[in-house]
Amino acid sequence: MPSKDKVLVAMSGGVDSSVALLEILEAGYDAIGITMKLWEYRDVGGNLLEDSNCCSVGAINNAKLVCDRMGAPHYTLDFTGVFRETVVDNFADEYLAGRTPNPCVRCNSFVKWDAFIEQADQLGATYIATGHYARIIQTRNEYHLAKGKDSLKDQAYVLWGIPSETLRRTLLPLGDYTKEDVRNIARKHKLETAETPESMEICFVADNNYKRFLKNYVPQEMEAIGEGEIVENSREVVGSHSGYTNYTIGQRKGLGLSNPEPRYVSKIDPESNRIYVGKKESLYDQSCRVTQVNWLVESPCFPLQVHAQIRYNSTEVPAIISQDGDTLTVQFDTPQLSITPGQSIVFYMDDRVLGGGIIELNSWK
Amino acid sequence: MERIYFDISATTPLNPKVGEYMYTLQKEVYGNPSSIHREGQAAHAVMEKSRRQLANVLNCKPDEIIFTSSGTEANNMVLKGILKSGDHLISSSYEHPAILKVLPSLEEWGIEITLVKPNSSGQITVQAIESALQDNTRLISIMQVNNELGCINPLQEIGEFAHSHNILCHSDAVQALGKIPLDLQRIPVDFLSMSAHKLYGPKGAGALFKREGISLDPLLHGGGQEGNLRASTENLAGIGGFGLAAELAAISLEENTDHINDLENCFLSHLDDLEINYFINGKNRIPGVFNITFPGEDGSSLVMKLDLAGISISFGAACASGTSNASGMLLDMGLSEADARASVRISFGKIHSRKEVKKVIDTIHSLIKHSQLTDAIEG
Repeated sequence: MPSKDKVLVAMSGGVDSSVALLEILEAGYDAIGITMKLWEYRDVGGNLLEDSNCCSVGAINNAKLVCDRMGAPHYTLDFTGVFRETVVDNFADEYLAGRTPNPCVRCNSFVKWDAFIEQADQLGATYIATGHYARIIQTRNEYHLAKGKDSLKDQAYVLWGIPSETLRRTLLPLGDYTKEDVRNIARKHKLETAETPESMEICFVADNNYKRFLKNYVPQEMEAIGEGEIVENSREVVGSHSGYTNYTIGQRKGLGLSNPEPRYVSKIDPESNRIYVGKKESLYDQSCRVTQVNWLVESPCFPLQVHAQIRYNSTEVPAIISQDGDTLTVQFDTPQLSITPGQSIVFYMDDRVLGGGIIELNSWK
Repeated sequence: MERIYFDISATTPLNPKVGEYMYTLQKEVYGNPSSIHREGQAAHAVMEKSRRQLANVLNCKPDEIIFTSSGTEANNMVLKGILKSGDHLISSSYEHPAILKVLPSLEEWGIEITLVKPNSSGQITVQAIESALQDNTRLISIMQVNNELGCINPLQEIGEFAHSHNILCHSDAVQALGKIPLDLQRIPVDFLSMSAHKLYGPKGAGALFKREGISLDPLLHGGGQEGNLRASTENLAGIGGFGLAAELAAISLEENTDHINDLENCFLSHLDDLEINYFINGKNRIPGVFNITFPGEDGSSLVMKLDLAGISISFGAACASGTSNASGMLLDMGLSEADARASVRISFGKIHSRKEVKKVIDTIHSLIKHSQLTDAIEG
């Protein structure tokens, strides 16, 4: 009998990765389950769901149980050091810089895929697999990342930063399923993880209270940020705020302003601890600058016509990309609301992800 | 796939004789040892038989043995039952978590703690302990055999030193019982923690030796079992199994040691024959336990690759979540971070054969050779 290809399956202990493992085994591969321990909750607290959160002992036990039932070996690997340095420190730095980070993107880009491929090499595995709702499409000898079938759960957006050379070694067995399909498969096979709750929050801020998290994680820096001014029309002071890290672009609530027409946060300046506000129309921009670009296609030509998505769960819109050195300028066909520095912008052609980058503050703002 | 289990320091399979005895106890001796009636008496007799078996092995009095659920519990009983606010404890930095993770609670209670480090041979010396001595030192707790290295500490000297300074002495001897002789008439410790599952006995059964005349506050209050020191209806089958396992280990101690020493020679000469690059960490080890460094390898990957090939060894000490990090203990002993990461623990025992030893080394050889080849190709 020819030996089967080995696949390392990333197991978070939730329903998605459990079904991913099942699919990999049913496709005839040899599977090894791996749980990446990324975070120690007791370090910075905030874990309200101790038993089911990713990285908790409960989640690791779930993953072990599912693997054991399917006869796949399971190992837990400690990545807490690299996760803290690459993802969590950056998360805090970005907020302190007045930006709104997307740590899941950074984790996929710099921790999960790299570390996982390296582990696959160590253990002699040909492929890695995860339970993301996205697809890998092969055309001739090229591999493309594409959106998952379930448009509500699609996770292609958070995968734009993975190294392009890993695509040919990546399997995404849930790409053609909806979340409901996945739950039904899990129920049919009576998987222990069939009813695990959906995790919507940032894994290391399990209570979804990032202000509390920052206070615990960078207490000195946070204490140094006092009250600041709320400014309208570039110069007019209209109120005061509790510290710039408590606000994000487009925020309306919590400003304490009593204008008949609502005001929104349009810009955050950490240097002066000022929050700039304006009416809704002031939040629209027709273009943005993009850095830290990663392409998942070979040598794109500019100007490039794409559909661009500026935040998770927003719809993509037509845009044209031009390139100037390492920086891209993205010109949208129609003005976009609350383009937020620090967030990811992802470029699509039909269902395919071409690449993405990080939104920067526009120089004229 | 036929598996080879070379992780005897983590736990041992149950001796079939012990298993049969425990099954008989479970079936037939169901009485509560505290009951007055015949069923209770029969259960009580099993307890006392086991206590005598363990006392014989240790050369102590039966009444000096308190049965517990584990070595961890025995350690907790001593640390929490002896030390009071203002006391000072001397222990070592390479104790098992069953000691080290108790310490934060003690600190909260106002107890001072000094941890001495092992020397480059992996031993805690009396000199190191002496330099940590304070006027308020109340207890010295040093493990008899280290779990990651297999190194034996000079417990007799440590005990004599403690007593000459009027200090109590405890030792976590979980890795020692059944592997080396423990004569408590010769070794002057006041407390000794033990566990059954390290010597082919059952899990969930442990014991504490407490020298006669020393008083101790219990952790568990209740029905007054174990001389008011450990309330709980006794784990009769576990306790019975523990006594028998300890007795069997003691009877065949010499024979087992000879056999394991022979396996050790085979292990080392086969490593040399295959020209594998390695070094052993720590000196004066119990037989069959190797903390071994394969320079340039990744220890945790090697453990996984061997597991996939049907061989069980370990990297660092096991913990509940199953993750592991490079051992801080090896860094304390002077190893580089890279060498510490390249180290694994291989432990075998009386149940193993030369053939298995050779198979394990052949497999390690092929895995290391493969990873070195891959490195060469990737440049």
